[in-house]
Amino acid sequence: MIKFNRLTFLILILTLFYFALAGRLFYLQIIKGEYYREISDKNYIKIFYSNPSRGKIYDRNGILLAYDVPTYSLIAFPYIVKKNYTMQELKENLKNYLNIELDEKTLNIIKKNLYPSVVIKKDLTQKDIENFYNYNYLFNGFYLEVVPKRVYTEEANYLAHIIGYVGYPSEKELKKNPNLSPNILVGKAGVEKIYDSLLRGESGQKAVLVDAFGRQKKVLWEKDPRKGNDIYLSIDIRIQKIAFEAFNSSKHPSGAVVLADPNTYEILALLSYPTYNLQKFYEGFSQEEWKELTENKYKPLMNKVFLGKYPPGSIYKPLVSIAALEEGAITPETRISSGSEFRIGKWVYRNWDKRGCGFINIFEALETSCDTFFYQVGLKLGVENIVKYSKLFGLGERLNPDLEVKVATIPSKEWKRKVLKQNWFHGDTVNLSIGQGYITITPFDATKIVVPIANGGYVLKPHILKAYFDNKSQRLVHINPEVIRKINIKKWNLDAVRYGMYFVVYGPSGTAKALKTVPVLNAGKTGTAQVYSYDIRKKRYHAWDFRDHAWFIDYVPYNKPKIAGVVFIEHGESGGKVAAPLMAYILKRIFKEKIIETK
Amino acid sequence: MFNLFKKIKQTDPIVYLLTVFLLIWSVINIYSASYHEYSNLYIKQIVFVSIAFSIITFLPFLIEYRKFGYISFYLYLVSVILLILVKFFGVSILGAKRWINLGFFQLQPSEVAKFSMIIFSAYFISNTKLPLSFKDFLKIMGLSAIPFILIYSQPDLGSGILVVLPVLVMVFLAKFNIKYTIGFVLAGIILSPFIWTHLKDYQKNRIIAFLNPESDPKGTAYHIIQSKIAIGSGMLTGKGYLQGSQSKYYFLPEQHTDFIYATIGEEWGFVVSFLILTVYFILSLRIFYIGMKTNELFGKFLCYGIALIIGFQAFINIAMNVGMAPVVGVPLPFLSYGGTALIMFSLMIMIVLNIEYINKKEGFRFHSQDTLNY
Repeated sequence: MIKFNRLTFLILILTLFYFALAGRLFYLQIIKGEYYREISDKNYIKIFYSNPSRGKIYDRNGILLAYDVPTYSLIAFPYIVKKNYTMQELKENLKNYLNIELDEKTLNIIKKNLYPSVVIKKDLTQKDIENFYNYNYLFNGFYLEVVPKRVYTEEANYLAHIIGYVGYPSEKELKKNPNLSPNILVGKAGVEKIYDSLLRGESGQKAVLVDAFGRQKKVLWEKDPRKGNDIYLSIDIRIQKIAFEAFNSSKHPSGAVVLADPNTYEILALLSYPTYNLQKFYEGFSQEEWKELTENKYKPLMNKVFLGKYPPGSIYKPLVSIAALEEGAITPETRISSGSEFRIGKWVYRNWDKRGCGFINIFEALETSCDTFFYQVGLKLGVENIVKYSKLFGLGERLNPDLEVKVATIPSKEWKRKVLKQNWFHGDTVNLSIGQGYITITPFDATKIVVPIANGGYVLKPHILKAYFDNKSQRLVHINPEVIRKINIKKWNLDAVRYGMYFVVYGPSGTAKALKTVPVLNAGKTGTAQVYSYDIRKKRYHAWDFRDHAWFIDYVPYNKPKIAGVVFIEHGESGGKVAAPLMAYILKRIFKEKIIETK
Repeated sequence: MFNLFKKIKQTDPIVYLLTVFLLIWSVINIYSASYHEYSNLYIKQIVFVSIAFSIITFLPFLIEYRKFGYISFYLYLVSVILLILVKFFGVSILGAKRWINLGFFQLQPSEVAKFSMIIFSAYFISNTKLPLSFKDFLKIMGLSAIPFILIYSQPDLGSGILVVLPVLVMVFLAKFNIKYTIGFVLAGIILSPFIWTHLKDYQKNRIIAFLNPESDPKGTAYHIIQSKIAIGSGMLTGKGYLQGSQSKYYFLPEQHTDFIYATIGEEWGFVVSFLILTVYFILSLRIFYIGMKTNELFGKFLCYGIALIIGFQAFINIAMNVGMAPVVGVPLPFLSYGGTALIMFSLMIMIVLNIEYINKKEGFRFHSQDTLNY
């Protein structure tokens, strides 16, 4: 029999201790074992990402526009750095050997160990890198990471808006896409963004056993980075350059040019003017430069081709003509008496030319851009039919959702009731039939009018990518033209409109005689779109932003079109006098420099 | 010829075999814990383990434990002198002067002090009229306070506590007035805020970190968290010998000394860590039992003291490893790296074996009421 005495009391305490410890062991190793095993795995396995080189961007002829160069970033592991150096030592070492002034924010991250790793300096110079390796004992817990940097060539500046730019993924993007790593470059705008999945490639990953000092002990598994695919844009940089120079020499401060191949709807040139320096934009402007860019009233940062919406004016007339001919409102032979003004009740709608047009048919109406003719045709046709054909042509629709941002607003009865809460008047139809009133389109939408007229009624998917080199299959993959729909236009109706557009250039009263100088037969249509009504405009006509917009659409050669496009000059005053000569300049140089062969 | 098995049967085979088991484990684990950084550490440990093995295997038959009693005061004096010497000639490692460099060996006087304090207080109690009077209590406490203060100022709070704690419990076992005992415990609790103000900053931090480990995961509490992760991640059967990532990649500090138990827990899992805990428990109980059997008071209190220090030190160390006690720098008996401690512990086991050997030879049997009635 054990008696309860001091010794048994002591042994009892010892036994209690024993069971408490055994219980604790059971709790840690059996109950929470999985949990601690997971922590310990994370403790010593570190994932290092190696960045893939991003695909190059070429134009359609293989001229380099964008590529990658490796740069070195100095990265610190705060936890290890903190262990090895005092903050004072750290500051001094970085200053003396790498010439880096550590800012308070970074210092605080290291001091408080806020993040597992922190970038100390990007884009180290060769000398810094040498110093880092020579004095590596001073930089325990630091390492150099290869970070690709995008370089844009001189040519790429001509299409800054299209190329866009790259950057590191945001928190949101990282969450959304598990394939991204924090130091990979992703496209943030333009082609870089649209074709990011092609260009980006895949990060390499290296799981490394590291000790508590961050020393790499053993590579557990490794996945090599996969290079991004090179892409070939449909842009011909020579044409793009001509378009830029056309603007640059014209003294018109703002506008856009889009030229496309009407047979495939490949975009050959796409300029939004003024533009900016792409490389500088990517690397960061100085504060003054940035202020200059953002406060510039000509909006150099905005891609007007897809983001600007303007009334189309008379370039809308070919579309209205096709609608009228197809719907039987008129025939090519129909003649209408078109005076200097058209009245509906007390409302007066004037012709742009005070002399009036006379008793004319569709060819002459297009040639002289006769407003009063189209007022009457539009009323006869009805707003529903104008809207129907606009939709058929793809206005107000994203034919390529990747590319297009804003789309045309085509007013209809429903639209007006819904948006403006007003009824539709005949006056609205009259305005719409000459591309005025509530209608606004982007410069890109203008090509949607001209391309089906040029190619015989095919609505195609526009694209800016011609081909890409698929690294997996080692093959060049071409992007084929894609027919979205065919507008059934009777041949004689289409020919009537084409003929009218031919007369715009070559007719005795044509509004775009400047195009006559182009050595190849072509057809076009001018547009001078009112921004403010005649009365207001008269008062402040001298002010740039009160002037009319100038448009010109064109396709060439007349018989077998190879180029169809638009020139838009913001507040350029006159389609015939301003936009058409610019188009003439561009086309002349294209043929003179034999960029497009014509036979 | 020396017949080992026959001889061991004449002492206490349980104490002997459990100690040998721990010695073997110490070599295995020092090899693992020093695998990466100090690769020759285990060779030194093998040397010390061989010496320790010789001590517990041969010495129990060659000595007479009572003779330790006669020299106990000198032992006490020597350890106090060593503790003073270490103040002047000590080797400073990590800001603490705890070792005297003897060229081939670094002597740790605090370990010697632990050993001699047990012998000295056992001798003191056995030569005093029991139950212990208040005057004698003050005497023995005063004498143990000297090494305590010297060790505490090294600074080494853990060893200091382990010098005094067995003495206190032995006094308690020596039937010291229960009222006074309770009084002293209460006084200790009341005085603890005062003691707190005299603790070094790192000691305070360790206690704070123990009470709330997540407060500062990269600082003081780092030890506790990493040790818990190491032990917990061992799960049932461990990650395998030499496969412990926590210890092999330096997340676990002091892995060959204070935190060797975490290395075992990580590499061998619950099975072996529980086994080792049980080995200490049984070893301690067995030595208590030998003490109970021993009639002669000096031998009895020696056993109690030795059982206490092994039990306490093992449990405090393990509690520290599993995050149930603050990190006070108490090594694990036999398993932690440290030559002095290993020799001193094997001397203690040798004394226990010698007591049992003499008990058996002289035919003393268990009659508990004889000399000390609890």
